[in-house]
Amino acid sequence: MIENRGMFTLDAAEAYLAAEPDLQVEALSDRLYTVSDGTIRTVFVAADTGTIAFDTFGTPGRARAYRRAIEAAVPGKPVHTIIYSHDHLDHAGFADDLAPQAEIIADDLCARVVKARGAQGQLQPTRVLSGPAHDLSIDGVSFRLLNPGPTHGSGNLAAWFEDEKVLFSSDTILANARYGFMPDYHFRNFVPFMRGFLELDWERFVPGRYELTDRAGFERGCDFIEAVMTECQNAFQSFVPIWLYEPMQAYVGDALRERFGDLDGFDGHIGQMAIRVVHHYLMGGWGLEDTPEPRALLADEVPL
Amino acid sequence: MSQENQAPEHSCSEHMGIFTIPGELPLQGAYRDMCYEPVRGNIWTASEGIYRTIFLEGRSSVIAFDTFGTPGTARAYAGAMNRVFPRKPIETIVYSHEHLDHTGYASDLAPEARIIAHEYADAVVKGRQSDGQKPADEVWSGERTGYEIDGCSFELIYPGPTHGDGNVAAYFPQHKTLFMVDTVADGAGYTTLMDWHLTHYVPVMKRFLSLDWDLFVPGHFWALSRQRFIEILDYWDRLSEFAQKAIIDGVDPHDWDGLNRYTDEHLGPLYRNEFRYGEYAAMNLYRYMQEHLTGGWGIEGNLKPDLSPL
Repeated sequence: MIENRGMFTLDAAEAYLAAEPDLQVEALSDRLYTVSDGTIRTVFVAADTGTIAFDTFGTPGRARAYRRAIEAAVPGKPVHTIIYSHDHLDHAGFADDLAPQAEIIADDLCARVVKARGAQGQLQPTRVLSGPAHDLSIDGVSFRLLNPGPTHGSGNLAAWFEDEKVLFSSDTILANARYGFMPDYHFRNFVPFMRGFLELDWERFVPGRYELTDRAGFERGCDFIEAVMTECQNAFQSFVPIWLYEPMQAYVGDALRERFGDLDGFDGHIGQMAIRVVHHYLMGGWGLEDTPEPRALLADEVPL
Repeated sequence: MSQENQAPEHSCSEHMGIFTIPGELPLQGAYRDMCYEPVRGNIWTASEGIYRTIFLEGRSSVIAFDTFGTPGTARAYAGAMNRVFPRKPIETIVYSHEHLDHTGYASDLAPEARIIAHEYADAVVKGRQSDGQKPADEVWSGERTGYEIDGCSFELIYPGPTHGDGNVAAYFPQHKTLFMVDTVADGAGYTTLMDWHLTHYVPVMKRFLSLDWDLFVPGHFWALSRQRFIEILDYWDRLSEFAQKAIIDGVDPHDWDGLNRYTDEHLGPLYRNEFRYGEYAAMNLYRYMQEHLTGGWGIEGNLKPDLSPL
């Protein structure tokens, strides 16, 4: 196989990995842009001499398409910095195809997971951040990176652009209800951590998928997740067979349709969300990430 | 009761795990009939129909593995053991792993019993502070340790990350019996394989094939032969390839209807008759698709374990 393969083992994945779709770019200010392939979304910033790209998209082809989109939007400013929003390959798996010489910034835990994974195409961060908040100034651009604690994936960093009044947080709150089975979400502290971002001054929210929303849409997204968590507990204690899709979809969907049924994707996704969330209460959360004072088990096993 | 998990207005009279909603939480105290039967030697097994565990007859006491997943089922489990061995109290509880649905209610099963757990499981138990789940009194580390308790001999084995944290098997070489929870069970896997560490799951589980056993007692449903254990692992291996093909074929893992159609078309001819196929095969496929799309989850999902024979 010619392409970086991430976690794929089948040679038949070559065409999927190589495909280079057109990406849609939208300017959020004179230097901040958002870009999407129709599902995954991220942001990039035109700095004084180059570009700061958040994430890479999820295949080598999409990473190259991302680079081309940046070149078209901000010609003459090659990507010199990549910031991983979190460790997942569908967002940050292919720096090797986006800008192999770039400095890569990531959270400490994200960097450890990336190292342990060793996925082909996902480059190791060159600058590792520890702690909840970091004010960065890179090539004339200032912004703050925030890791309130486990939300989704490992070492998930949000970016706050104070001048633009924009918040970017990948695969956390969405502008719709298209959460699927909520892969690798950490529910114990998710909503309070996300609501913490409302203490900052911003007006537009850029999620890691689908469309943008505003502050009210973000707050409603927090309300929605919180309501799903409550109704899943009610379903459990009402003897709903929590391991079955249809009864969980019916119970939680009926309970929440009046408040949230207008969210795009509600009927197709509420059953998936309910199956996942109710198991948080059945099992007690997953790992130390899902505890009142979260941390990561075995992180020391992966030295940086 | 953990302050962290106690809503101010809470009036539940039972241990409440990590529930945060107010009220009595009727499921917590609900009684479930418990079935039990001898396995081999001093090994017995108990089940309420879905969950399964084992207990051991000692000279003067009973060694219980796990607690079941609510206060009511924990009490039913204690009642079952007391019925079988009325003069032998539960003096030891061994945690298979840390999830509440298997080990959440030692406080209701036998609050005075000595609890044994792997250090990884105990770290999560301590961190979780779940109401009713007790931390271990004896923590062990590493890959293998032998126990001789009240005339019962067994070995605990941590093969590497599989499901949950600190998930250990109990090996009874004298009875050629292996017990392990939430790893291999008959038929399609459970929902979306909650908290499974898939990247190295199959090779880690295959390490057990280096041991001499012919009966496997899982944490759900019924016991399996060694051959069936191998066939189930083969299902997971093949699912990994099916998941890659599904991504290549453009299936959206979040499109529930499309995912079910694809599953039925591609997995159905091979696995349609498997136990719980209709309920879970699409969810199984979804989880493996995510593994290839996102990479393994967290440190546990990416560590490269020792895969040498046990």
